[in-house]
Amino acid sequence: MYYVADVKESECAKYNCKQCVLFCPEPNTLMYNSEKHVAWVDYSRCKGCAICVYVCSDLLKRNCIEMVMMTTGE
Amino acid sequence: MGLEYVKISPGFEKYMPKDYVDLVKYGQFGKQIDVQQIDQIKELVEEHPMCAGCYMAYFVRIFYASLPKPEDTIVLGTAGCARLALSQAAVPFIYGNYGDTNAVASGLKRALSIRFPDKIKDVVVVAGDGGLMDIGFGMTMHSWFRREKFTTIMVDNEVYGNTGGQESGMSPKGVQLKMAPKGKKFDKINAVELAKTAGCVYVAKLAPTNPKRIAKTIKRAILAARELGPTFIHVYTSCNIEYSIPTERVLADAKEREKNDFGFYEWMTDEAKEYLEEQEKKMAEAKT
Repeated sequence: MYYVADVKESECAKYNCKQCVLFCPEPNTLMYNSEKHVAWVDYSRCKGCAICVYVCSDLLKRNCIEMVMMTTGE
Repeated sequence: MGLEYVKISPGFEKYMPKDYVDLVKYGQFGKQIDVQQIDQIKELVEEHPMCAGCYMAYFVRIFYASLPKPEDTIVLGTAGCARLALSQAAVPFIYGNYGDTNAVASGLKRALSIRFPDKIKDVVVVAGDGGLMDIGFGMTMHSWFRREKFTTIMVDNEVYGNTGGQESGMSPKGVQLKMAPKGKKFDKINAVELAKTAGCVYVAKLAPTNPKRIAKTIKRAILAARELGPTFIHVYTSCNIEYSIPTERVLADAKEREKNDFGFYEWMTDEAKEYLEEQEKKMAEAKT
């Protein structure tokens, strides 16, 4: 079981913002798809610090990222 | 070192590791990228063993994204947390003995300017508060007195995080740590004023809350060090383990410290100001 960030695509696509990407401490982990205008997470690299949740929910009040438990191989 | 050494010889692409091919194709080598485009590139730094939510790791990530010439840069580090991420990047990294980073960097910069007199080679020291202001204090100060032309970046986590939480010269007064249970009795060293007195031409202090500003500061420090003399950046990179900051509050803590005692501060000599204005004008012209 791993604790990782997960982006709610339908919510995220409403905004053209990538603030979470700019504040993630891990390289190439939280990335941005500029065609679909959504951020996405490489689950195998995410360490589950939830800084992106703070940026999205507390600072921007957009609530597009949540923390989920994930089993390996999912 | 140098763009021609980074590129893959024709015909060998299929034998190289995928990560390396991506790095050459979509990475920063030979390009000027803006830190806001960090999601569009393969970053220089790879997965590293630093703690979850560590803002020193975040600073290292932004640091590599803002190097003006990564293919011609050598990074130096020492024992401490930052080296765990610094050594995982596609930029040559030299691991100095504890405290002697600035002495190694002095020699390296001099050797590079003799070996490559017509080329730009950047030397950057990224070390912690213990490596630069406690144990390496003498060598740091003397490299500044000698006006060696390289950049020193202090990633200040205000504690010896790797060895269990001893107080360092940069810990704030009164703070209680695991191995300083009675609380620290002395004030935090004023590194910025020391750097100004010792002869640095560009000095900055910041908390990592604004990636664009971090990138601009690092670029300026490296550019000024090429021509004029030593430059110094003091960055607050909290230790969420030793200071017991919940990981999701790390950025909030950085913002709070920015309001209190880590407000953005930038100082440079008149000569450096003139030089940087000229260089930034040139860079803006090259972009358009």
